[in-house]
Amino acid sequence: MTRYQLQVNGKPHEVDVDADTPLLYVLRNDLKLNGAKFGCGLGQCGSCTVTVDRQPVMSCLLPVSMVGGRAVRTVESGGTRWVPGAVLRQAFTEEQAAQCGYCIAGMIMRATALLDHVREPTDAQIRAWMQPNLCRCGTHMRILRAVRRAADALTAAPARKKR
Amino acid sequence: MRGPARRRRYKWWLAGAVLLVLAVAAWAIMWRPALPEQTPAAPTRFDSAQVTRGANLARLGMCAACHTADLAKPFAGGLALETPFGTVYSTNITPDTSTGIGAWSEEAFTRAMRKGVARDGSLLYPAFPYNHYTKLAQDDIAALYAFFMTRPALDAPARENRMTFPFGFRPLVGFWNLLYLDESPVRQDARQSAEWNRGAYVADALAHCTACHTPRTVLGGPDIRRQFDGGEAEDWYAPALNAKSPSPLPWTHAHLNDYLRTGIAPGHAVAAGPMQDVVMSLAQADPNDVRALATYIHGYLAQAPARATPATKPGSLPAPADNDADLARMRLGHETYVMACARCHDAGRTPTSGAALPLQQAVALYDPDPRSLIHIVREGIMPPDGEPGRWMPGYATMMNDDQLTALAAYLRRYGANAEPWEDLEDSVKKAKAP
Amino acid sequence: MSGMPAQPGRRRFLQSGGALTLAFVLPGRAIAAPGEGPLPGSLNKAPWLDAWIRVGADNRVTVYTGKAELGQGIKTALLQLAAHELRLDPGRMMLVTADTRQTPDEGYTAGSNSMQDSGAALRHAAAQVRGLLQERAAVHLKAPAASLLLSNGVFRTPSGQRVSFGELVAGADQHVRATTAPAPPAPVAPGTPKYSGISLPRIDIPAKVAGGLAYVQDLRLPAMVHARVVRPPSQAARLLGVDTAQVLRMPGVLEIVRDGRFLAVIADEEWRAVKAATALARATRWEAPATLPAGRDLASVVRAIPAEPETVLARGAPGASGTTLRASYTRPFQLHASIGPSCAVALLEEGRYTVWTHSQGVFPLRSALAELLGAPEQAIDCIHMEGAGCYGHNGADDAAADAALLARAFPGVPVRVQWMREEENCWEPFGPAMVVDVQATLGANGAIVDWRYEVWSQPHNTRPGKAGNLLAATHLARPFAPPRPKPSPQPQGSGDRNALPYYLIPNARVVHRFQPQGVFRTSAVRSLGAYCNVFAIESFMDELARAAKMDPVAFRLRHLSDPRAIETVRTAAAKFGWDAYKRTPRRGRGFAFARYKNLAAYCALALEVEVALDTGFVRIIRADAAVDCGEVVNPDGVRNQIEGGIIQSASWTLLEKLRFDASGVTSQDWAGYPILRFNQAPEALAVHLLDRPGQPFLGTGEAAQGPAAAAIANAVADACGFRVRDLPLDRARMRTYAVS
Repeated sequence: MTRYQLQVNGKPHEVDVDADTPLLYVLRNDLKLNGAKFGCGLGQCGSCTVTVDRQPVMSCLLPVSMVGGRAVRTVESGGTRWVPGAVLRQAFTEEQAAQCGYCIAGMIMRATALLDHVREPTDAQIRAWMQPNLCRCGTHMRILRAVRRAADALTAAPARKKR
Repeated sequence: MRGPARRRRYKWWLAGAVLLVLAVAAWAIMWRPALPEQTPAAPTRFDSAQVTRGANLARLGMCAACHTADLAKPFAGGLALETPFGTVYSTNITPDTSTGIGAWSEEAFTRAMRKGVARDGSLLYPAFPYNHYTKLAQDDIAALYAFFMTRPALDAPARENRMTFPFGFRPLVGFWNLLYLDESPVRQDARQSAEWNRGAYVADALAHCTACHTPRTVLGGPDIRRQFDGGEAEDWYAPALNAKSPSPLPWTHAHLNDYLRTGIAPGHAVAAGPMQDVVMSLAQADPNDVRALATYIHGYLAQAPARATPATKPGSLPAPADNDADLARMRLGHETYVMACARCHDAGRTPTSGAALPLQQAVALYDPDPRSLIHIVREGIMPPDGEPGRWMPGYATMMNDDQLTALAAYLRRYGANAEPWEDLEDSVKKAKAP
Repeated sequence: MSGMPAQPGRRRFLQSGGALTLAFVLPGRAIAAPGEGPLPGSLNKAPWLDAWIRVGADNRVTVYTGKAELGQGIKTALLQLAAHELRLDPGRMMLVTADTRQTPDEGYTAGSNSMQDSGAALRHAAAQVRGLLQERAAVHLKAPAASLLLSNGVFRTPSGQRVSFGELVAGADQHVRATTAPAPPAPVAPGTPKYSGISLPRIDIPAKVAGGLAYVQDLRLPAMVHARVVRPPSQAARLLGVDTAQVLRMPGVLEIVRDGRFLAVIADEEWRAVKAATALARATRWEAPATLPAGRDLASVVRAIPAEPETVLARGAPGASGTTLRASYTRPFQLHASIGPSCAVALLEEGRYTVWTHSQGVFPLRSALAELLGAPEQAIDCIHMEGAGCYGHNGADDAAADAALLARAFPGVPVRVQWMREEENCWEPFGPAMVVDVQATLGANGAIVDWRYEVWSQPHNTRPGKAGNLLAATHLARPFAPPRPKPSPQPQGSGDRNALPYYLIPNARVVHRFQPQGVFRTSAVRSLGAYCNVFAIESFMDELARAAKMDPVAFRLRHLSDPRAIETVRTAAAKFGWDAYKRTPRRGRGFAFARYKNLAAYCALALEVEVALDTGFVRIIRADAAVDCGEVVNPDGVRNQIEGGIIQSASWTLLEKLRFDASGVTSQDWAGYPILRFNQAPEALAVHLLDRPGQPFLGTGEAAQGPAAAAIANAVADACGFRVRDLPLDRARMRTYAVS
């Protein structure tokens, strides 16, 4: 067991875990964050998607010892400067973009990384970007609409000027 | 007029004549006439056996690897190919009359394949490997024509190439052709088996292996004196396939055949990067032709001398020696390996849809060039869309430059037991730019 | 609002409900005699009103259902029904689902029966409770019951006197038997919102988008330990030996449990359990015989499996003359492939087992566990918590059995078992491989005059009830044998579900060749045999239509008499623009219709596909579905289910098949078993509902699977000019047609 300092959702955390523990288990079991989920542990389904320094990461593959001081964000976070967490959560809720909902937290974080970097994505860009994330229930149409909705809300919102 | 004045005028006339000759020569090198458009023949005009033959040839020739960028639009082009001369986009080779080759006669198609000249007379960039297809037998070209003319016509205008000056001026390719376009057919070797000779034909006239696996000259032509010495494709290093093969284990014919047909030679190699397109294409081709190709290439690979490498003893990779000159970096690399790689690549991992290769056996570690390894670690290896296969995840967003550099250096030393790569940090940095 | 205790923990916390529920007895009210006639839905099995509805003194109402939320939105729909009858804001209500301690036993949440079983029961019970409260309010307010108005839990007289639900139940006994007598109509105050027939936002979604506690995978209990099971390489494998010494020394390892071929490791931290299991697997030697029929044509394999034929339809007489067509259709083994592998937590404390599970049937599971553990049922509590979508009988029950066995081996602390991806892909019960042979004769006027249909299938129901249907039970040193599977009789059917065409055919024979034992353990996958049977029937209807030179939609209409079916078919065709469709190169349109089980929801689907044969890539461009599910409780919920059913079925139809070699399953993860990703999702998909207020509820969860498969196959045939009859229409198969 080794002690690690982590920056998660804007707050510092200290955890005592085995060095090779994937970030996913640290988030869930040590920090009690339910968002990122175990779907395969192999980087193939995206249920575990979080962002690290604003990039999407399969947290089931990232050992906690490799995270360092990079900023980790999960669906529980307030979001980023450009993409408030509430915008995506609201968009997914308004579109009722979930059936079993197990993949949704990963979808939201994957989409967060897109909207954090691309201001006005086209529908084709959204679709291509979400490809690494699986949905088994067939909620794809609603997920795409929710991301579209969030993107449009961010473009329209005056708060998105640089502070 | 007499004396110097006459000599001067004579010199002017001479210079003018020389220039005229050069201009005529240049024009002859750079200009080609347009061939007339024709109404496309109905697909039913083509004999189905010929079309089937053409399909096999297209798969051996890897046409889809460049000309299919979108799965929903086969052969409609649009794939960006980075070359040292700029970015070339593949074109639409479906029989669409306005955006594809629908108006091309068989003669125009043949000219493109043999001489790299489009129907309208413009010269094609040799990113299209016509210097290989030129060696095709005419009835093979006819079969390919039949195949392409019977594909669904798709509307997909060519994208603008982005060439570095002055290579945007296509007629310059005429000079390249002068140097590198050898239209002679593939030489048959009577001492070799029929299968070998068929393999030679498949390799040179269709699969164009040397286009990637042979180094290029500064002008981008094949350096034929160094055939199969290794080359590159799309920023991946294509290993040598001859005596200089970096493979840590000798290739057997069976290995090579399996690899070319499935992308995997168990316990030996996994196809990654541009080779994935190659094996995907070959998997759909006539297995006899692929075996012939394996026979031919294996003839070269068999020249590689046996050498002792760690590949014969796969297992956990060791921690760095205490007296390692680069200890800090090696420790970081080892730690990264243990944390990120060992779970799958260590010997005896619980298999899922296929155990990962023990890294002592990974050819990429033995390449003289680290680029392939860097690509594999950053991007992973994934099966084609919707098809089953092996899956290695990509670590680009998980590792920073230091970790990746350290990992590569560590694997080179403790996985391959080979001399360090030069300019490793630069290669890692350059790999970030997409 | 869910049935989840606020602080899940030891048993002593589990009984916190929130509201005080008191008993009430109405003076002079005779309790209805048994034998009065059937009560709606599951009320028959649990006829006490307080089994379903309990009013609290704090004016909140707790609703109980034996059904489970699977992601299909049933919690919301049931809550809506109860809220609607009680005229109470759902925000003031709490729903408790599938819990052997406190909810009615409604068997499995399966077969799309939840609305019919639980919905009907709840609606009736809520209406009766409202009626009883109204009578009591009349007494309390000294006003005629008919003069009272109700809104949000408060009865008011015209003069403004009021009494609330909470006040009314003080001192009352709610243990009243339901009667078949309809409740008096609801005295609705003007402006009272209606809660049924509206798209109430799903009550479970907010937690899911915000990382709240939502799944059994999220359950964390004090002192909980983590376990992983090491499975054999195949069901036929023999355990030769295991060397546990080194694994026991690994950090955090608490116990290794071995009972026959059941092998597991328990550790203090989850990742340590994973590592220990990997090491334990390496330290285990198996003999894995090569017994599977690898490399052989699967349809031939299926035909050769011993079968018990049963004639499930024999109408008219064979031998009508005309043009006869024949075709065979096949379906491979397929996976549920839940995105979240199965998980369970179990605790054995003071002789009581508590099991938190996403099983579809907590009561049958309890019986099976009782048999497995040799414990009385009363000593076992099974509490449903959501998992990822299960789509039928996946590994949920097996994970519960694993957890219970390990809790027995390691009592006193909760033991959590999480299946790994490979475990789920290799060990969940699979969807059976099926073969259909169909033959039909068209009479001179182009109508079908004779129909012969045979379907071969392994079992679609090996759900627990019996311990032998739990995976671990078959691996113990003294194993439980799986009970001999039985087919479900029509009209439900199993392999023969939807094998009877809904069309008017004067002479028809349908034979179900039930195969009790096949290559793999198989069980229910969403829609059971209906997926393959509707694929076959609706593909064949198109082939017949073509032979009759009729438009496929017109051909179907010609053979339908049920007006609701006709309207469903017409709506889908009209919304799609069927008659005005112009085929363009590489694209084609396809149509399909089915009524699930011939008695549940109607679903018709028209769609357009684009086919690229050289890459084998098929994608849906646009789709229009029409659905008649009787009275619609939550329109958006129905749409969500149908959209999902179409896309999931598209994944099955275009991509999915289980792969195996001689000694085991090889499609062990998503790389080996690819499913549909965003690049193949349609460009447009619309679901059109035909609402029938007052009509019985018809389950929709499985209505789209079969029609989607056939509509895709028909559209591909329209686009390409040839027909593919073998599922899946994957890239490798479609490429074989690139050069004809």
